[in-house]
Amino acid sequence: MKVKIKEWHAVATWRWDMPEDEVCGICRVDFDGCCPNCKYPGDDCPLIVGKCHHSFHLHCILSWINQESAKGLCPMCRQKFEVAA
Amino acid sequence: MFAQKRLGKELSNIHKSLPPGISIASASDFSNWKMDIQVLDTNPLYADQIYRLNFKFSGSYPIEAPEVTFIKEDGRDIPMHPHIYSNGVICLDLLGTNWSPVQNVESVCMSIQSMLTSNTKNERPPGDETFVRSGYRSPRNINFVYDDNTV
Repeated sequence: MKVKIKEWHAVATWRWDMPEDEVCGICRVDFDGCCPNCKYPGDDCPLIVGKCHHSFHLHCILSWINQESAKGLCPMCRQKFEVAA
Repeated sequence: MFAQKRLGKELSNIHKSLPPGISIASASDFSNWKMDIQVLDTNPLYADQIYRLNFKFSGSYPIEAPEVTFIKEDGRDIPMHPHIYSNGVICLDLLGTNWSPVQNVESVCMSIQSMLTSNTKNERPPGDETFVRSGYRSPRNINFVYDDNTV
């Protein structure tokens, strides 16, 4: 018997390439979720990895780094926070 | 928004478990929590005492540090310590210049608990009387000099 496919719907899931169950140290939301100010995870609320190998939601680390008292340091290890290439 | 979501998560974790000697006295909103702490070893300065910490959170917590002070309430006293003023203000770098947004209520309680545990001096900070009389209630307005690493 030959079957002719007339129509099909593709369904996909995605997740960041991060260890499961890990949370952003600043907001404590899963990396696969979004920062408290965003509605949808994904490209709208990306992650960022520092040279020190600590990761955060981009928006979370920005709100920290942008204030003077942060002195540009990673909240985890207190090394200078620089984006990993 | 930021603070509420983060504190909501902390609260549900805290309700599940807390380290020994630390418990919630009250946490009915997202601006003010009270935590009870107890020193667990036999340090005679704090034996059988429970102390109460007052946490005040701004809307920017945890980007901004919470204001943490000891309070006199329900028979709780202010613990004797060379970095704790008799009005409950705590001089601790972690709550000031060395705050980090990965700290949380539990980690702050643990730091303060260990600050008490390791103390052997039955004394107040130098200038305590003047400091308390000057009416400083908010640790934020004080520029502490964190110069003493011995206690």
